[in-house]
Amino acid sequence: MKLLKGLAAAALVALPIFSGSAHAQSDEQLKTLVVAVPSDPVSLEPGTNKAEPIGSEIILNVFDTLVAWTAPDFKQLEGRLANNWTVSADGKEFDFKLRDGVKFQDGTPFDAAAVKFSLERTKATNSYVKATFDLIKDIAVVSPTEVKITLSEPYPAFLSILAQPQSAIVSPAAVAKYGDKFAANPVGTGPFSFKSAQADTNVVLEANPDYFRGAPKLSRIIYRVIPDASTRRLELESGGVDVVQQQGQLSAIAAEDIEALKSNKDVKIIEASSQIIRQLEFNNSKKDGPFANIKVREAVAHAIDYDGLLTGVFGGTAERVYGPLTSNSWAFDPKIKDMAPAYDPELAKNLLSEAGVDPSTINLKLYSFQGPLWGAVATFVQANLADIGITATIEQTEFPAYRALQTVGQFDAALDGRQPWYNDPDAHITIGYLSSLADTAMTFRMPQDKALDDLILKAQQTVDMDARKALYQQVQEEIVKRVPGAYLFSPKLIVFTRANVEGLVVNSAPPLNEYWGVSKK
Amino acid sequence: MATFILRRLIALIPVMCIVLVIVFSLVRFIPGDPAVTLLGPGATQAQIDALRAQLDLDQPFPIQFLNYVGGLLQGDFGISLKTGQPVAHEILLRLPATIELSVLAVIVAVIIGIPIGVLSATRPNSVFDHATRVVSLVGVSMPAFLLALILQLVFGTYLGWLPVSGRMSSFIVAEPVTGFAILDGVITGNWAAALSALQHLILPTAVLAAFLAATLGRFVRNTMLEVMGEDFIRTAKAKGLRRGDVIIHHGLRNSLLPAITVIGLKFAEMLGGAILTETIFAWPGIGRYMFEAIKNRDYPVIQGTTLVFALLFVFTSIVVDVLHGVLDPRVRKKMK
Repeated sequence: MKLLKGLAAAALVALPIFSGSAHAQSDEQLKTLVVAVPSDPVSLEPGTNKAEPIGSEIILNVFDTLVAWTAPDFKQLEGRLANNWTVSADGKEFDFKLRDGVKFQDGTPFDAAAVKFSLERTKATNSYVKATFDLIKDIAVVSPTEVKITLSEPYPAFLSILAQPQSAIVSPAAVAKYGDKFAANPVGTGPFSFKSAQADTNVVLEANPDYFRGAPKLSRIIYRVIPDASTRRLELESGGVDVVQQQGQLSAIAAEDIEALKSNKDVKIIEASSQIIRQLEFNNSKKDGPFANIKVREAVAHAIDYDGLLTGVFGGTAERVYGPLTSNSWAFDPKIKDMAPAYDPELAKNLLSEAGVDPSTINLKLYSFQGPLWGAVATFVQANLADIGITATIEQTEFPAYRALQTVGQFDAALDGRQPWYNDPDAHITIGYLSSLADTAMTFRMPQDKALDDLILKAQQTVDMDARKALYQQVQEEIVKRVPGAYLFSPKLIVFTRANVEGLVVNSAPPLNEYWGVSKK
Repeated sequence: MATFILRRLIALIPVMCIVLVIVFSLVRFIPGDPAVTLLGPGATQAQIDALRAQLDLDQPFPIQFLNYVGGLLQGDFGISLKTGQPVAHEILLRLPATIELSVLAVIVAVIIGIPIGVLSATRPNSVFDHATRVVSLVGVSMPAFLLALILQLVFGTYLGWLPVSGRMSSFIVAEPVTGFAILDGVITGNWAAALSALQHLILPTAVLAAFLAATLGRFVRNTMLEVMGEDFIRTAKAKGLRRGDVIIHHGLRNSLLPAITVIGLKFAEMLGGAILTETIFAWPGIGRYMFEAIKNRDYPVIQGTTLVFALLFVFTSIVVDVLHGVLDPRVRKKMK
């Protein structure tokens, strides 16, 4: 009897412990957005940020850049901290008229001196942007609302670089105050100011009521660190978090999650096109490999069932890519769609015999990244190749080792791809196809080809947007004619949110969220 | 006893030196450059080289080792390659979370496991004994992550009784004092924080305690059965001592010694951080920290956390040995 009474008493005491997660949200909770991320941000300020997605997204919301891409197409630039700008005819001088009356979150005024300070600081401290920021020859403060940046070479894509989180403008007063600790106390002009960060736990941002575009509707954003994907999903379904980004484009397939969450009326699924390109690339600088003959490359390109890949493996969560640029790029050439190889195994076999190559003599090691997504793609490609008589063995390799063998050309064909870290065709094309850069990254390893190389460099340096677009269209056609690879897919950006989250802007390159206009019903 | 402890502490030093040399070299044999891993597939060689130089990775091995040891002697565990923050500070931020979880898990496991073991031993081959055998088997065989997911699904998503993950509700602002969440809540009078911390502790503790409780239960049962068959037990019963006294003071006390070793080893293991449990419950502990560091090839963090584990492990075994001395007069005599 005593035992029973004791148990009953214990249960009564324990009851409040089991009140768990409240499902209906209080007013305070409706003004707070909880975002699930897989790990801590690495760097919260432009001076040290090396384009890792979490830190970059926080920077985008705590700081502002001079210019930004206009939602929802992201094909045109608009002024943020800059009102308007001019580019000199030679493409080397960028003159920005800055917005007046903007303040940093610490109350100090934003002006041209702050722009000069920020960009020069980032140039000195951030090794990641060295290649592009080294082009800056001089930054001149013309007046408190006008700044002129001079480059040593013409580089029109510089405007895209200025839209990146690494180019965000920091408060010089805060840098002076915090010194080395500025990364732990970032201060910018953005819609949310940094409140606190707990290691491996969360980052808290608070609304900046004096934001120059208008105060945000939310009062707080909490980034919760939840490393396990199934836990993130459970938290989303139970209302513990409001936003989850499909982060794992390199390693996970979203299709299963989408199917399961489509029937959940508390969850909204936002799909956006990305600029990520994944391809089966050939080692184009290898003169004696099986793919040195263009007919063999064309055969492989015709052997792939592109639509089958998109529906069968991706279940609609990826889109077709036809060439070196995705269809949502402002420089995309619509002619590429017609030039793209169609799935035609019979034609593939004919091309092989035309080339005088017996497919059974090709023993291909098909290299790829690790992870279930790449494994599924590799298996699909392997099957397609088997249909035209080519035997391929799949070699999924851990990333650093994979990069090592790819950059020295120890392969014939490999599954690879690029997520451009700035929104310009230059980000895909120059590094991917310029022969002089073949060994410096994971590229198509194009052989020296003066016509193509000159065309790529000219397109990079031409100032007039229309002329540049025409040149890039030429570049795309020239590249596709050479069949450097089979362009397979572009994964969509998929963001899962609670149904009551509105106004989310999902950038495409790189894929980061802007929360200024977000509210919860 | 004091000299025994002192001798063991001095023996720590060569052990730590060996651990240091091994981990320092091994970690650099793992294929994969930290700069390459940190920057990802899109990086150019120029970006990678610039980062390598910035992180002092291009120095020759002996120089890197000497720099590291020099730092260690001054209490500096180096700087994390990923975050640029001092490793010692980062470890201290995460250690309390793991200690909190491990201590609670051991307490729960002991409270559940030992009584079950005793009851099974006093009723051998009964229904209770068979039932606990089955439950123990399940507890030992079930993978931690499966149990974790099931608990999250049942208690978190379906019933909504307990939070799915994390250490504290994100809506509660709590001042960290000691780093132990419940303690901090109590010290600062923030009862909402203490309650939230307790709620969040329940599921991860259950997962960690399950395995240990199951193991302990069987272990204590088997050891006790052996001990209960000894002559001195028959003598005690013959002397007319109460049944409870015989079981606890004579039976259990003699069976506890091996159990303490198991508990000690398991505790040290848990302090190493239950990586899977910490990952699934988004618990900001040291196991997950080390795991991420290995993925990122963050050498100073891998070295620092390994050294800390080695230290904790050696300390725990010293404590276990001292406990043996306290509980067993025969061991005490040998120590002198």
